[in-house]
Amino acid sequence: MKIRIAELNIEIQNRYPYTARQCVGYEAEFDRADITVCVPIEDVKREFERSVEGCSPGYAEFICIYRAIARELPRFGAFVFHASVVECDGRAYAFTATSGTGKSTHTALWLQEFGARARIINGDKPIFRFFGDTLYACGTPWCGKERQGCNAVSPLAALCFLERDTVNRIAPIDDAEAVKHLFHQIFIPESIEAAGLLFDLLDRTVRNIPTYLLGCNISPEAAHVAYRGMQRGENE
Amino acid sequence: MIRSNLFIKRKIGTQFVIVAIGEATKRFNGMITVNETGSFIWDQLEKDITLDELVNAVTAEYEVDADTARADAGRFIETLKEVGALAQ
Repeated sequence: MKIRIAELNIEIQNRYPYTARQCVGYEAEFDRADITVCVPIEDVKREFERSVEGCSPGYAEFICIYRAIARELPRFGAFVFHASVVECDGRAYAFTATSGTGKSTHTALWLQEFGARARIINGDKPIFRFFGDTLYACGTPWCGKERQGCNAVSPLAALCFLERDTVNRIAPIDDAEAVKHLFHQIFIPESIEAAGLLFDLLDRTVRNIPTYLLGCNISPEAAHVAYRGMQRGENE
Repeated sequence: MIRSNLFIKRKIGTQFVIVAIGEATKRFNGMITVNETGSFIWDQLEKDITLDELVNAVTAEYEVDADTARADAGRFIETLKEVGALAQ
């Protein structure tokens, strides 16, 4: 099957129909693929064996396919990043944290509070891609269990590391702290060359994108504190 | 001593980081942040080098006495050994 994500033509040679079902809305027609993916069946079996009970071989293949795509992305100035990305007023804000902290809960507050001004670009694993000096968050079919996301590309305004707190507060962080957090949210390719390209992209990311630490609870105020804090940072 | 070719060093923002790649991540799946001297030592380890040669290189590059350089470099080398970042 053929899909287009992050402005890249991707040809996937999948065995199971699961991937085709997940990729609805991303199908494309093209003659030349930027990336061609064919996952060895041994990789699918290994993923299936180590994945949670109840997952299907098709799901395991779907996961392997994204990993294979992620390996190729750095040469296109792109990488997969574990975050929930919400767009508001035409600009994207990425929230990342360790699993279970409440990224999706927080971005859901943005939808609730900002209504039609906001939408989820990808709730779990967007692709970030540089076009010139601008980093864009790109929707992909790999968007988490809740399947939140859309086939859209939006300029990334800020990157925010999220932690639970009893009060809502946001502050810019320096790149030393940002690097520590970033490291846990990326997929590092096995090849030295691709890994080197990825780290060069992370360097460009911390130089170009303001980074914040948000402490928040689950009250609607959290969304307003986060948005105001990041807008203030942009205007300074 | 020579560094493993399964690790890479890159500058991200103002930070130098050393990271394991591929097979090496099975032993060390983290990141080492180093200062400029650490980055310099890592660069010296591209070729096979003794601790004495390393200390000489550090004292030639930075305003530091040999004892301090030896102690600092020794600690850094130990860290690299622990995570498998030295090939020999």
